[in-house]
Order: sequence, then C-alpha cells, then structure tokens
Amino acid sequence: MTDAPSLGPEQQFFADPALDRMMGVVMAMAQELYVTRDRLRGLETLLAEKGVVSTAALDRAPTEAEARARQDDLKEFVGALLTPLLAQKTSHG
Amino acid sequence: MDERAFSAGQAFLLSAKLFWTHKLFGAVKDEVRTASPQPKTLADVAKVLSPSTTYAYFEWFERHLQKMKYSGRYGLVPHADGLRRDLLARLDVNSPLVQVDPALPMPDYYTSVDVHQHPGGVWSDELAGFVYEEGARSTTPAMGVKHADLHQRFTDLIVSEGKPKRILDMGCGFGKSTRPFYRDLPEAEVTAVDLAAPCLNVAGVQASQDQARNVRFLQKNAYETGLPAGSFDLVTSTMLLHEMPPEKIEATMAEAARVLAPGGRMVHLDFHMLPDAFARFIHYGHAVRNNEVYMEPWAEMDIAALLRKQGFTDVTIAPFAEADNVPPDAWRFPWTVISATKAA
Repeated sequence: MTDAPSLGPEQQFFADPALDRMMGVVMAMAQELYVTRDRLRGLETLLAEKGVVSTAALDRAPTEAEARARQDDLKEFVGALLTPLLAQKTSHG
Repeated sequence: MDERAFSAGQAFLLSAKLFWTHKLFGAVKDEVRTASPQPKTLADVAKVLSPSTTYAYFEWFERHLQKMKYSGRYGLVPHADGLRRDLLARLDVNSPLVQVDPALPMPDYYTSVDVHQHPGGVWSDELAGFVYEEGARSTTPAMGVKHADLHQRFTDLIVSEGKPKRILDMGCGFGKSTRPFYRDLPEAEVTAVDLAAPCLNVAGVQASQDQARNVRFLQKNAYETGLPAGSFDLVTSTMLLHEMPPEKIEATMAEAARVLAPGGRMVHLDFHMLPDAFARFIHYGHAVRNNEVYMEPWAEMDIAALLRKQGFTDVTIAPFAEADNVPPDAWRFPWTVISATKAA
C-alpha cells in the first residue's frame, strides 16, 4: 500500500482525539474479522459440497478433549489481547 | 482485492450503517425527545447533544462508515482501481448517446470539495461514474435494495400530472434519475446534462443496454446549458441543488426559466423541508460529515420567494415519501419536491 498524500487532519468527534483514532483501528479490525468469517464460511460450504467435511460435524459442540485443548490456546489468546490494559513495561528504561 | 472479500467488506459497512440508521439514530433522538426543557432551537439541540457520548458515536460512524465505503481497504475506489482495465472496456466513449466536452471548465465550488467523501469527486477519474453508481446503492440504507424506486416514484409523480414531450434532466449524474423518463415516456425526447464526463459515460452504457433512442447525455453546466430558449416542457433535477452554492442555484433556476417553453413545468427533488430543530441539527451535521458544504445554505434559502421573484407561478414546496413504508424513527433525508410553472 502506498502512502496517500496528506489532505489534512480528520474531523474529531470525541473529547479525546485518541478515541477517534482508536475507533478507526477497531472498525478496520472488525471489518477484517467479518471478511475472514465470510471467507471461512465460503470455504466450509465448498468443502461440504465436495463431501470433504460435514457441516453438522463442524457445527457440533466441541468434545471434552477438544474443549480442554482449547483452554491453553484461549488463555494465550486472551492474555495477549488484554495484557496491554495493565500498562506495564516489558523492558527496563 | 478478491471479489468475495470486497463484497463481505462492503456488506459489513452496510450492516453497520443500518445499525447507525436505526439504533444509534434512535438513541440520539430519544436523548432529545426526553430532554427537559424540550429543545426548540438549533442551539437548544446542540446543548443537549454536544456532551452526549451517544451522539459522538453517531457522528463518528456517519463520517467513518462513509470514509471506509470509499477509501478503506475494501473501499469502492481501490476496488474500481483494481478493475480499471475491465471497467474502462465497458465504457463506449463513442456512444452516440453521449457528448462530452473536454473544454468545459469545472467550477471551483465543484472541484474544491470531494462530495460524499468520494476521493477526487465524481468528475476527475474516468472510473468515477462506476464508483458513484456503486456508492449510491447504499445512500439510503433504510430503503435497502429499493433505493432505485425513489426515482421511479418521482417520475410517476410528475407523469401523473401530464406527460411532457421535451424533458431536461439537470445534474443527471450516472443517469439514474433520467432512466425512468426515457423508459416510461418513449414518445418524449429526453436531454440530460451533467458536469461529470465519467458519470455521463456510465449513463450512456445503461441507456445503450436499455436500447434507448430518445435520450442524449450532454456534458454541460446546469446554470449555463447553452440549450435553445423555450425548448422544454419539463425541467427536472434530482439531488442536484443541495450540491450548489446559493448564487448557482439562483442561476440554475433562471436557466430553467430560460429553456422552458411558456407554461412549462419545473420539478426538483432535493433535501429541503426540515420539520423541526432536531431534524435541522442532524441534517446540518450530516452536511459537514459528508462533505456537502452547500446543504445548509440551500436548506436556509427561501426558494419559494426566489422562484416567484423570477416569474414562476404555481410554486409548491412539499415533502416527498421515498418509499411506501418509511420507518418513522429511522434516519432519513428530508426529501422535498419543489415545483413551479413558467408563466404562459
């Protein structure tokens, strides 16, 4: 992606402009998430049509073993997502 | 950009816009409805909404969903740019239905602001007509896929009062307002003018597909068409006037009077009647957030007085229902029909 020429600062709606900017990041991420969900659904549909996977099997609740395996992954995921809320340095200085 | 990702990205934005249209707007409206004392003026409404977090989100979403629609990673402009060669191949630059004028100067008011947050406006890139056409499909999200119906309803309204034979559609854009006229009135000769050659070229593609023989699209300025005096029974425009500064609106009305035959009718569909201070506040905010700087001065104009001063008779200003079932509490444009007759 090439840098677009600057056309000046964007309009501000929140008292703290940081929130205006952060909302842009959040919405861009939400859009990316939806695009990915849509891609995944398309992929699943194609695979089901070809008989590679069963939609019912994909939609069923995880088995106990699967749920246990997911816990570690979730812990890591949530930790990475929310640790910045603690506002702690990770290096000296 | 792959088409599936583009489609999903745009669908996400439209869905978010619908949330904005119904839920966020409803919440903002409720804050004003329950305010005590009840706001009566623009300043009163501002006093209620300026400190409101809900209103800040309402503003942010209005500005940025539109920005993302055009310019984001899955925006209309980068999408069209990726298809540039294919889209250009769809245009027929030698269409007998379209006459562009590369020497026509673009007015400063028109080029200095990218209306609708469309980068480069609707005139500067040869693909701009395609981008505008696609963008306009979600201009009124509450109407969903029935957006095109409003042009048909407007044409039906005009035709219900008589069938004009010689029609001028001012500021026709990519021809969506012109299409019901040339399709429904095959006996009529329809002339459509616009400043934007890229839009006229898209209009020409559609008219060719429609096998239309009774329409021509000309690159001309609405307030200085150069068309023969007294040569039309009907002059119309749709969503043109709010994009023009007051002095150009005045000149456009004078030009309409010039090209109309005596007894001819002039009917414009635009955003004008604002029933209360809240509607006015929301509309003027929309103007700023959507880069439509002349919306407010246009809404403040006493257009009826101007038309009478210019010699028009039968001047009427009336609200227009863009659909059969307009949701009462959803955000919507203040659709208005402005009509007048040139004295016989």
